Amino acid sequence: MRTAPLKTAPLKTVGVAVLAALVIGTVLLLATGADPLVAYQSIVSGAFGPDGFADTLAYVVPVAGLATALAIPLRAGMVNLGGDGQLVLGAISAVTVGLGTGSAVLALLAGILAGGAYAVLAALCENRFGVPLLVSTLLLSYPAMSLASYLVRFPLKDEGSSLPQTPQLPDGARLPELAALVVVLVVVLVYTVVDARTPAGFEARVTGWNARFAEYAGIDRPRLTVRLLAFSGGTAGLVGAMVAMGFPYRFIDGALITPQYTWIGLLAALLARANPLGTLVAAVFFAALTSGGFAMERATQVPRELTAILQAVLILFLAATSGLLRKRGARV
Amino acid sequence: MSGVSMRGIVKRFPGVLANDHVDLDVGAGEIHALMGENGAGKSTLMSILYGLYRPDSGTVALRGEPVAFGSPSQAIDAGVGMVQQEFALFPQLTVAENVVFGREPTRRGLLDRKAAARAVDELVARHDLRVRPGDRVGDLPVGVRQRVEILKLLYRSADVLILDEPTAVLTPGETDGLFGVLRALAAEGRTVLFVSHKLQEVLAVSDHVTVMRDGKVSAHGPTTDFTPHSLASAMTGREIDLDRVHPAGTPGEPVLELPELTVRAGEIVGIAGVAGNGQNELVSRVTGAAHVPEERGETGSAASASVADNLAVGFHRRRPLSRGGLLRPSEIRKHARAIISRFDVRATERQPMGTLSGGNQQKAILGRELTHDAPLLVVEQPTRGVDVGAIENIHAQLVAYRDAGHGILLISSELTEILALSDRILVMYEGRITAEFGRADADPDRIGLAMAGGAP
Repeated sequence: MRTAPLKTAPLKTVGVAVLAALVIGTVLLLATGADPLVAYQSIVSGAFGPDGFADTLAYVVPVAGLATALAIPLRAGMVNLGGDGQLVLGAISAVTVGLGTGSAVLALLAGILAGGAYAVLAALCENRFGVPLLVSTLLLSYPAMSLASYLVRFPLKDEGSSLPQTPQLPDGARLPELAALVVVLVVVLVYTVVDARTPAGFEARVTGWNARFAEYAGIDRPRLTVRLLAFSGGTAGLVGAMVAMGFPYRFIDGALITPQYTWIGLLAALLARANPLGTLVAAVFFAALTSGGFAMERATQVPRELTAILQAVLILFLAATSGLLRKRGARV
Repeated sequence: MSGVSMRGIVKRFPGVLANDHVDLDVGAGEIHALMGENGAGKSTLMSILYGLYRPDSGTVALRGEPVAFGSPSQAIDAGVGMVQQEFALFPQLTVAENVVFGREPTRRGLLDRKAAARAVDELVARHDLRVRPGDRVGDLPVGVRQRVEILKLLYRSADVLILDEPTAVLTPGETDGLFGVLRALAAEGRTVLFVSHKLQEVLAVSDHVTVMRDGKVSAHGPTTDFTPHSLASAMTGREIDLDRVHPAGTPGEPVLELPELTVRAGEIVGIAGVAGNGQNELVSRVTGAAHVPEERGETGSAASASVADNLAVGFHRRRPLSRGGLLRPSEIRKHARAIISRFDVRATERQPMGTLSGGNQQKAILGRELTHDAPLLVVEQPTRGVDVGAIENIHAQLVAYRDAGHGILLISSELTEILALSDRILVMYEGRITAEFGRADADPDRIGLAMAGGAP
């Protein structure tokens, strides 16, 4: 008989993984000639210190937002790999509407609708034409990013600048960072309640546990796919809208893709097995590690890629010790 | 000459002493039955012989030589082969590809398909197993897949063959055929270990029997020293009523009307037939019924989820489990506890479903479906892989459900089960109902003949 899924012994598992990551990180730091204590200290102060905390929060909104967006279908065993496309489409739609109307609310709604509708398109590709969701979401992501690039280089370009970026949003269409953070937390809260306490959330979990069992129980998979993808893409679009409506209040080509929010978010969701609060915790942790990495680079000349290594080691150890990658166990 | 000798085997798992100083001696050329209920330790003992586990203490010897296998591949190299209860086949590959997998004949480093098909053809012909090497395994019914598993052992020229509940999916006729194969293999000097809980089959085919209960050997000796009753009480530690045929029901209004069959309230209609003769298609045409599916782990439940969550499925959109659009966890647990106590499931509602024994999983799933109180219950293979003790309980629950005025469509490849429960028996062969028997004229031989496609 097998025990200890992630739920039952998380603290011990996380402790072992963090310790292992620290040991390996220390070895790497010593090998580059840096002082490990100074480096770690600069990561922590860079992430949570008075100067760095704002940076961390700036990462928390997109990373935790995307992590939650991708966790929603993952709960039912469906993988949305199109986070980048939905994020960018949400951002460019919000900026377009924001520039046109000057209304933050309308801009946010435009972002949600654009991201959600685009993800639903991927869901329909699976339901109608049998294109696996994994493929349809990922492939649809590329034309969305290209469309945004085109818009920001031609029709929506800021004529006063040589960069591929839109003009700044008017004051009424801007969103303070704190408001964005609150919105993300509300989304996580809603996801938590829907997941744990509603029949629809239960059906998503049943599908994630065992898709054949869900089918046997009469759960309509195509309908579930469309709904989950609508919420997933809508959340990704909302996050894109909020990031573009924050400082510097414009859409800059590539600014949402380069930091790899989608992939860090997907890792967080996978690691937490799409558990709502676990996903948030993992996302905040990765956000802190990322902003701490910049601070460490400034303080010690150790490249911030080291934090990417720490992240990778952590994930590997968590996966190994929690049995994340283990197949269903043999019976006694 | 000794084939297999296991002495003083002890194996402990957290909280369980799975094998407690177990001795097992099997001569070469012998068919040896290993009996016991689920959890008695027979799977653990066989897993040790097959190299899946190492014993905490004790010794294993093959043909008099001490061995200690660290993995199944070492056991296979030493000539020990095992057909597990859950088949290890690739559904997308052909029969021949599955059989040669891991020991592929090659020509200049590439798979030699012709040689593979030839080798498999030869084995099929020699052992009369009736399998086409070119068929895709995923398209084959469960019964045929089993034969592919047996072919895999033969292809690897194992001389110690372990078969874990091999007859669960076979017709009486096919079972006789398998027994012929096993006897022939034993006559060639191979050692056959036949893990089973079916008393009649053990008595029919084995030379020696070892019975396990609670991790210990509770009885062993030549098969001729045992009767069905002495075997059953050695397995369970109590007296079991084996030959019980339940009293007939009193049929009322039809609850299911298909062109080929009708089920009335208050009757159990049994569908006898080998797996893959259209039973699945028949079941898929029935709508609006409570349903206990054939594969309880793959279809009927979610192993990683709690018992409470598994039992809530189907009730989760109605009161009292949800109210005002929100689930009520305390009601979900209460609902589970009610099913657990009413159907004697040995588990708590918080336990993951996958940690329950087969019998307890089945009691839980049956309990969930009976609780729907639907006019019609479709139940497939209700006691496959289930302990003798749990079988009694499950049969009694089905009869009680019928007597409460519900109709039951029972699909089972166990003829004894069909005979014990059914008010009417229909035989399915190649997608059609080919024979019908009333309670009075239900003769096992004639039904067995009809299952094999013979005229009734």
